[in-house]
Amino acid sequence: MSSVSRRSPTRVSSPAVALLVHALRSCLPPRRLGAVLFPCVGAVVFGLLAVAVSDSPDRAFVRVATTGIFGIAVPVAALVIGDAVLGAEIRAGTFHFTWLSPVSARLIIVTRWAAGTMVALVTIVPATAVAALVAGSPSNALPAALAAAVGASSYVALFIAVGAVTRRSTVWSLAIVFFVERLLGSALTGIAQISPTWESRAVFLSFANDVPTSLVRTGIPEGTSAIVRLAVISVVLLGVASWRLGHLRLSGASD
Amino acid sequence: MSPTEVTSDPAFVTGATVTVTDVSVWFGQVVALSGLSCSFGPGVTGLLGPNGAGKTTLLRALTGMIDPNQGSVSVWGLDPRRDRSAFTRLALVPEDEAVPPMVSARQLISYVAALHRVRDGKAVEWALATVELTDVADRRVDGFSKGMRQRVKVACALVTNPAVLVLDEPLNGADPVQRAHLIDLFRRLGDEGRTVIVSSHILAEVERFADRIVVVTRGRLAAAGNQRAIREAMDDRPRHVLVRADRQRDLAAALIGLDATEGVTVEDDHLVVSTRRTGDLAVALPRLARERSIRLHEVRALDDSLEGLFRELVR
Repeated sequence: MSSVSRRSPTRVSSPAVALLVHALRSCLPPRRLGAVLFPCVGAVVFGLLAVAVSDSPDRAFVRVATTGIFGIAVPVAALVIGDAVLGAEIRAGTFHFTWLSPVSARLIIVTRWAAGTMVALVTIVPATAVAALVAGSPSNALPAALAAAVGASSYVALFIAVGAVTRRSTVWSLAIVFFVERLLGSALTGIAQISPTWESRAVFLSFANDVPTSLVRTGIPEGTSAIVRLAVISVVLLGVASWRLGHLRLSGASD
Repeated sequence: MSPTEVTSDPAFVTGATVTVTDVSVWFGQVVALSGLSCSFGPGVTGLLGPNGAGKTTLLRALTGMIDPNQGSVSVWGLDPRRDRSAFTRLALVPEDEAVPPMVSARQLISYVAALHRVRDGKAVEWALATVELTDVADRRVDGFSKGMRQRVKVACALVTNPAVLVLDEPLNGADPVQRAHLIDLFRRLGDEGRTVIVSSHILAEVERFADRIVVVTRGRLAAAGNQRAIREAMDDRPRHVLVRADRQRDLAAALIGLDATEGVTVEDDHLVVSTRRTGDLAVALPRLARERSIRLHEVRALDDSLEGLFRELVR
């Protein structure tokens, strides 16, 4: 039809790198990026709110962070990211560009999760550290960032799995966070033990300074055990997502 | 490679690369495909059917995008649903217009190339040039027109060098020049020995590029064979032509005497002529009108749409 241009040949990367870059790009559209940054700003605002609490800065930040940052900001940021890297693509009807390839479902899922985690590491994770700083609690910045990193990573795995299972991934993800984790998880320890919210909160409280004992929940893993628990939860969720991807019915954007 | 040879059953070909065996697909209460069996071999096969006939569902089943509720699909002996290595030989150009956001044409094609382990970057440039998108290769595809998006998807399929290429309504949105180029490309790919399956609901369009035609209606195989066989199958059915004219009773009397006419129905303000020989009728009708000084206001085939023809074909 036409002659090949004189441009130097395009560099073609490996499948894993291509998948990673493609997933990172899915978080870049302005509206999506704005939706990711919104909870990050929210996390910093929660840090500012801690200043208004009449308590020591550390205790005030711990109180605000357990509810506001780990209960709302981190899950919402991870939801937007997790949905962007898989669910949104399936809904939009563009996932066939990836799916119709010899690449394994496992590699697709792992690279999507890695990309989502990377985005979380440069958005919500630093935002939680900044929140600690603006709250006047610099000693809690690192524990907050660590807990946000493992929590967000686990949440991204959860929302990828939800995106692979259902087309209404946003609705189901919100339902899981607010009804299952917040509502049922508050009452039932069994649910809290497998909940990224409660486990990331436990990670934070284990390493934070000046933690009010009333905030520590018994019956769920703490410290490094909580980190290991979150890792196990992530692996299981990624396994579910990979299995589901192999059984996906791709019927296009309109269906 | 020689064009596909048809076996005694026109639904099947010798040397088939793609085989569909008793495939049924349903979505809730809606049956999209019902016990459909056929095969495809090297060369261009047109998959023809009216809107909603089940063409897209069949192509999705062929490419493993959906799992048939019943029956099986085999591409080079592999089930694309179970064995992802089938995608080393299989590519699909779907009908959906959707493209990823924030990605240029070159980036998207490079992405698909990378997933298929196509190491040669020249393949990306070749694919872009083949669909004439080199000049806009660095523009974002979400800003492309429908026709350009279609060509990007074709390039994404071509860059994988597929032995089996499945295209779902690929000419939608293409301008006449691009349409001609794409048709030429399909022919060339077929001549190279690839299995090219192209769906369309426009018979005249399919006739321009397909060696063989498979007709699907209401989720079933209605007919299969070369263009002539399909045309004959369709021509063998009576067609209905609406004629609006002055003194229509006189014209009806004249028409009934024609060999080509099977029947004439006189309505309030028009005639409906039944015929199996539309060509003969098309010649005779103006002659009769002229001889009798009857003025013709409208002559229109009532069932000339493909859907009408298909309805006749499967009745």
